[in-house]
Amino acid sequence: MQLQNNDGDSENCPTSAELSALLQTLGKDRSREIFRELFEFFAPRLKTYFLKGGATSELSEELIQETFVIVWRKAEMFDSRKASASTWIYTIARNLRIDRFRKERRYLYKDDQFFANEMVEEETQLDDHHQTQLSERVKKVLPLLPAEQSTIIKLAFYEDASHSKIAQQLELPLGTVKSRMRLALARLRKLLEGVDL
Amino acid sequence: MINHHLSDEILWAYATGSLPAGHALLVSCHLELCSDCKSRLGEAEALAGAMLQSTEQQKPSDDMFDLLMARVEQEAPVPAAAFLNEPKPEKGVPTALWDVLGHGYDAIKWKMVGPGIRQFILPIKPSEGECARLLKLSPGFVTPEHSHHGSEMTLVLQGSFSDETGRYKIGDVQEADEHVHHQPVADTEEDCICLAVTDAPLDFKGFLPKLLQPLFRI
Repeated sequence: MQLQNNDGDSENCPTSAELSALLQTLGKDRSREIFRELFEFFAPRLKTYFLKGGATSELSEELIQETFVIVWRKAEMFDSRKASASTWIYTIARNLRIDRFRKERRYLYKDDQFFANEMVEEETQLDDHHQTQLSERVKKVLPLLPAEQSTIIKLAFYEDASHSKIAQQLELPLGTVKSRMRLALARLRKLLEGVDL
Repeated sequence: MINHHLSDEILWAYATGSLPAGHALLVSCHLELCSDCKSRLGEAEALAGAMLQSTEQQKPSDDMFDLLMARVEQEAPVPAAAFLNEPKPEKGVPTALWDVLGHGYDAIKWKMVGPGIRQFILPIKPSEGECARLLKLSPGFVTPEHSHHGSEMTLVLQGSFSDETGRYKIGDVQEADEHVHHQPVADTEEDCICLAVTDAPLDFKGFLPKLLQPLFRI
């Protein structure tokens, strides 16, 4: 099974809920130990994320550092009712990557805007239970997607590849890329609803 | 009331930061107007966060945490919320568009494209092959029938238009690809202003519209 190949020792891995609790505590007491725990969990994953996005090893580490400088600065604004720790840290990393590699769209992905506006409305809040277990669920269902669909989802996620770039890379018509992505997301949504942990 | 929303594949591209610049601007404007899509973006970002959490691991350098700690310990506290003092845009202009224009629709320097249609190419740096512009259609204006090589996204900012696929009012978004042939008509008493983004030249049917193509710069 592919389910555990990413973790090695998934026994010792903090759950999503634990990660969110750690980040919330960091916001209150700025504890070095908690900061280290979050770093140890996310830094190796962020490294993969930045490397696959085309950054060199050196630049990846610089971007990880920058991500955590922002985590440190803004931890007190983190609200686990609005996003999980992974989602919150993901958006910081994504914005930094855009800032570095996609300068023409950096003004649309500002952290200030994200923290201030994007997540304030109550109706946008996800169901707590669903939210905190999402990563575990995604890990379970992602391998269930047909490869031709998950490849397309991942190219956008890791390589920041636009629809037309994916079409070029996979030598597919643009319409096919879009419809596969749409199918994949619909399928994921359905699978995520059905999965029991 | 918004009836035409963003597709999942556009939202996923936006959530992962992989949408070309002009398209991302349009999405950002729509999200300001549509709480449904905003909440769906939250779901897409949650999915991306979950993917990050379950991604494989690569060990960073051993001294990285110590370096990081040294860096944050030197930091002076950053005052929060300084950005709240930015000037508020005119009513009806999405903030993301206001950031680009610096003014409302009245002050736009429109260029005539043909009778009943004006355009303003937005001063943003688009991604490769993209063109982002505002279009102003006079009431009753019928756009030449056209199809697309790539894709076209249109967001209504004022007034409304109709075509074979339905009626589009303020905040509604239309995604058209190479399979769509359409002929949008501005269908109210008011000028219809749209944000339109293309990522490859449009393909006009007929001889006269072909002459218009260089003028459209699309």
